Formats: sequence, structure tokens, C-alpha cells
Amino acid sequence: MDTITKMIVINSTKVLPSDIVIKLYESNADVMIKETCFGAMVSGERSVVNSLLNDIRKIDPYGIFIKERGLAPGEPYRCRATRRGGARPGFHNLETEDRMLPHIASALRALDRGEVPGHKQRIKKLDVEKLKEIIESEVSQ
Amino acid sequence: MSNTENPVRIAQLSCGAEYSGIQKEIDSAVEQVNAVMVYPEIDILDIEAIEEDFGLKVASPDLKLMMARAKAIVTGKVHVDAVFVATCFRCAEAALVRSEVRRYIHEKTGIPVISYSFTERTTAGTLLTRMEALTTTARRKSLLAREKQSGLTAGIDSGSTTTKAVIMRDNEIIGKGWVPTVKVLDSAEEAYNDALKEAGIKREEVQALGTTGYGRFLVGEHFKADLIQEEITVNSKGAVYLADMQKGVATVLDIGGMDNKAISVLDGIPGMFTMGGICAGASGRFLEMTAKRLGVSITELGALAIKGRAQNIKMNSYCIVFGIQSLVNSLAAGGNPEDVAAAACHSVAEQLFEQQLQEVDVKEPVIMVGGTSLIEGLPRAVEELLKVKVIVPDNAQYIGAVGAALLVSGFISR
Amino acid sequence: MKVFIYPTNSLILSDLVERFGHEPLALMQEIGKKVRAQGLDSPPLNITPEDPKIGLKYAAVEVPSGVRGRMSLFGPLIQSAEAAIIIRDPVIPFGCMGCARTNELVNFLIRAKKIPLLELDYPSTEDEAKEFVYKISEFLKSLTEKKNEQH
Repeated sequence: MDTITKMIVINSTKVLPSDIVIKLYESNADVMIKETCFGAMVSGERSVVNSLLNDIRKIDPYGIFIKERGLAPGEPYRCRATRRGGARPGFHNLETEDRMLPHIASALRALDRGEVPGHKQRIKKLDVEKLKEIIESEVSQ
Repeated sequence: MSNTENPVRIAQLSCGAEYSGIQKEIDSAVEQVNAVMVYPEIDILDIEAIEEDFGLKVASPDLKLMMARAKAIVTGKVHVDAVFVATCFRCAEAALVRSEVRRYIHEKTGIPVISYSFTERTTAGTLLTRMEALTTTARRKSLLAREKQSGLTAGIDSGSTTTKAVIMRDNEIIGKGWVPTVKVLDSAEEAYNDALKEAGIKREEVQALGTTGYGRFLVGEHFKADLIQEEITVNSKGAVYLADMQKGVATVLDIGGMDNKAISVLDGIPGMFTMGGICAGASGRFLEMTAKRLGVSITELGALAIKGRAQNIKMNSYCIVFGIQSLVNSLAAGGNPEDVAAAACHSVAEQLFEQQLQEVDVKEPVIMVGGTSLIEGLPRAVEELLKVKVIVPDNAQYIGAVGAALLVSGFISR
Repeated sequence: MKVFIYPTNSLILSDLVERFGHEPLALMQEIGKKVRAQGLDSPPLNITPEDPKIGLKYAAVEVPSGVRGRMSLFGPLIQSAEAAIIIRDPVIPFGCMGCARTNELVNFLIRAKKIPLLELDYPSTEDEAKEFVYKISEFLKSLTEKKNEQH
């Protein structure tokens, strides 16, 4: 059996981790469920987990984000409770990405509305001749 | 180590240990010295600000994590007794961070730090000496702060090649013994008796006795020692004591009969160190064999080397077998013994450089200790190679015994 | 299509690739395989001293063991990648992505593979996020079209 664990990260005004967990339990699927501070984790057979989370995503497509996780929920070598102190390194990744989720949500909404964003030019370093000119004009003042 | 004591809390600040497959080895070594690893709690804002705070900008995020965790220790966010700083061997970026993190924690908190660079071949056995030194420093902080010997104490250093003993009274060495190690206990008895005889005192009068070196456990048990301590801690303390350079940084080089050590010391406490024992070409044994071929005693080799020029001899190998062969060939081709003696010293110095100093910063003062430091050509060769001044304190060959006698004086009940 | 993502443990990239109908090749899968393959005998990730040796395929022994150990995880992903999305300046990623030297090598190997590749900057504003998501969706759509053409 191909067992996987997936993380559900919620950044939504509409749903709470507990709502998701209730939905997951209601599904009666043969999976292990754990509510977390950022959402929930689901472990089970790959196809079962994938199809279950496909439905979960529909609850709030702009507020629910999903990725696979290597370690099972509550893994003692990684869990803060059993590891004496600091978070596993991946937690900080999640923290930094979580801050970007509202922007990603708004981008997904824009995409669904058919908006085409303007292309932004990457700012290049100032040309050295131009810089020389500026320096000379500044110095001469 | 007694398990009735509370476990020592060691903070692990590392990059790459899990991916080198050696985290299990670290955990195992820590468990053997009755300690536990802790991982300082930090938050994302700490990591984002750390480069500015610390003033060191690096590309690898896990190194930023290390610096942020170091700051959490320094600011008292987390309480630990000791710190283990470890990164991959041959990573330049990590070596810079490792060294600065160690200095930062030591200077700001005084919490003992050991740093190490590992490969996938690092085992719990290799780490054990380091963890032993680290937990000792944490548990015996007041003992290691001792800068003067007091009362009447003895130290025995049971080394692989020679056994040394000293008797100290009120910060003076009053008796010394130095014998080749044959049977560990017999040699220890002999060296100790010699030292007692020279000091003119009886065994019962000695208030406390400490042992160190390879045979420390056996000898310690036999003499009912008050302190049995690995040689890294003892030699660091002994070296800065003998050189009278107890404060600040120092580098201690100890080329022993069978192995050698390079220790980076801060206020008398070992930080980073390497121990070698895989190549006889980097040991005193190489010099002993050279002396034999030249038909001089080992005590004469050094003076001979000072008169010679190593460059005059072509050595094709530093190996104890092939290197010695090169020296013999040079002699046969008319090379003079002075040059050969100098070349042998250079060969050992170069091996020290190649094998031991890759991970240890050479910060002055550089103090050379152990019996080989008395072979004058060797400290000279090291000076030339490292471009530093090398200090060889008086009684450098008794380093371990003196260190043990000094430390154990802290056990005399007032 | 199997899409390699960099950072390989990114929630956002992994989510977007899956959302737009492709399979993200994320490191978590490799870790998962390792952890589940046998009784956990080299915790926490079950990477043993043998793994840096497997990594010798990608970098010589002079390259630190942590790089080679990580490469033993990345290797299979790079091999099976059919397309890739690389974020040029990701916000600080840790752990598997915590070593800059490994990341440089991974990026190089992906570029050298000459597969469909999208490289873009990490967004910091809402507008940039819109461009970011738009570009990724267009890229993934083009992959779908390519796949349909192949059939």
C-alpha cells in the first residue's frame, strides 16, 4: 500500500481547522486525521487521500492549500513535544509561505476572473556611464 | 559518568548532520555521557534579522538558523548547559559561521562550546571524547576556572608511549617521573614513585590525585584517583597554565608518541580540536625511528635538526616506512645527518598541518607540548610552516600530569 | 506531467502544480519513502551514512557530506522531472533546502536537463503574486497542451 501524508494549510476567513476536521471525519474514509495549528494532516492510502482532499479543497479553493509531507503526523523525532524545544526546520518554511497565502489567494481569484496581469520589467542595475554622469553632476554642484 | 546527576542539556547548532546520516551517532554519543540534545526555540523574525544582528551574511539558510539559535542562547530565551556546534567538513561558509558562533557564545555567556566538522564517516566513538570534554566542562565549570594549584597533589599521565607523573605543592612542581610505558600499572607505579622520591614525600601525604591519558581509567582505579579526566581538557588547562597564558585564545599542539592533537583553547577551555592516530608519520614515532637510523638518542635529534636544512633532503613520502627509506637513501647518497634530522622534523610538521590543522584555526599564542616539543627542530619546523611563533613552556613534556595535578587540587576539602 | 519544483518543499508551488492538474515532484515524497521504507534506524529522516555515497554520482568526495546526502534525495526527482519551475530568490527555506551549495547544484542540473522550464522571482506584493500565479498557470497549461499533442 502506498501510504502518504498530506498537510492542509488553511488561510481563510470562512473555514477553521476544526471545520475541515469535521468534514474529514464525516467522509468515513480510512485515513488518519490530525488537527494542527495551521490546518490538518491526513494520512492514508494515496488515492484515498488525494480524492478526499480534492473535495476538501472545494470548500474554499482560495483559502485551502495542500502539500505532501514526508513524515507521519506526530513523528516523535520531529515533534516539538518530544524533541525538547525548537520547531523542525520545515515549520519555518511553512511560516514564511503562510504569510504569502493571502496574496496567492487573491491572485487565484484574479485568474478565475480572467484577469491578465501587467508584465513587470525586472529592474536592472544602473548603467555605469549613467552613474558616472550622476556622480559628476552631483559633485559639480 | 554517574547517572544520578541531572542530564547535561546540550544545544545542537548544526548544518548538514541529518543529511550526512550521522544524527543517530550524535544522539548515541550524547546518551553515553548522560546528556540530552535540545534545539533552541526561535521564530521566523529572529531568522530574518539575524544576519544584520550578527554581521555575517551567508547564503545557506540552515547557517542562518544556526546563528539565530545561538542568539536565542545568548539572550537567555533558552537555558542550556553546553553547546555543540557542528557542520560539514570542507564547507568554507560553514567553517566561518562555526567559528564565529563558538566565539560569540563563549564571549557573551561563558557556556562551554565544542565545535566539530563531520563527514559521513563520523561515528559515535569519535564524538564521544568531544561530548565527554563538553559535559565535563559544563559539570565542572568551577574546577576548570582554577588557575593555581594549591595544597599537595599528584598527577599521572598514562600515555601510549610514556608515563609521566608530577607532584605539586602550592603552585610549584616539586617532583617528576618519566618512564616508557611498558605495563600500564607497573609504569605508573614507577613514574609515581620517582616523582614522590624527588619531592621527598610519602604517598599518604598526597591530598588528591588525578589521572589522564590512555590508561587513565585503569591507573585511576588502581590509585583511587579523585579525578579521572580525558586528555583534551587536561592538556588544554595544563598548556595555558605552564605557558602562563590562561586568558584569551590559544592553540595547543601536542604531537604524541602515537597520536597527536590540535586544540583551539579559549580561557583554558577546549573548543575545537582534532585528534589523529591513523598515521605514524605524523607522530613522535617517526622522529624516534629517524634518531635510531642516525645513531643518536631522541634527546639529541632536536639540536641536530636546528643545525640542518630540510630543503637539502628530498623526501618522496611522509610515510613512516617510505619516508624513513627516503632519509636512509639521502644518507647513503652523502646527505649530512643535520639535514636529515631537519627533514624529519619538517615531515612531521607537514603531516600535522595536513591532518590536524584543517579544522582548527591557528590563533596565537601557539603552545607546543608533549615530549616531542623538546625536539627543538620540531617547533622550529612548525613555526616555519605556520608562520607563527611557537611557545614551548618549561616542563612541556609533563603537560598531562601537571594539568591533572592542577585540576585535582580543586578536590581538596578545605 | 511530472513537474520538478524549486524550492522542492514549497507549499505554494506544490499546491499550484497539483491544482492545475500536474504532479509536483516534491522532496517530501522522497523523505516519505525513506521514512516508510523500513524501521526507522537512522532518525530523524532515515538518511544513513550510505546516502552521501550515493550522492557521489553528483559531486565528488571533496564536496561536503551534507551536500551529497541531500543530493541522494534530489537525484531521483531530477531524473524523473519532465518540466520544472524554479523560483530564483526564494524566501529563506530550511532543512532539505538549507544548504546553498546543494541548491546551486540542483538548479544547475535542472537547467542542464533542457526540459520545459519556468524561472521566476518570488513575489513580495499582491500585484507580483498575480503575475507569479498567472505565469505558473500559463506554463502549466502549455505543458498540458504539449502532453495532448504528444498523444
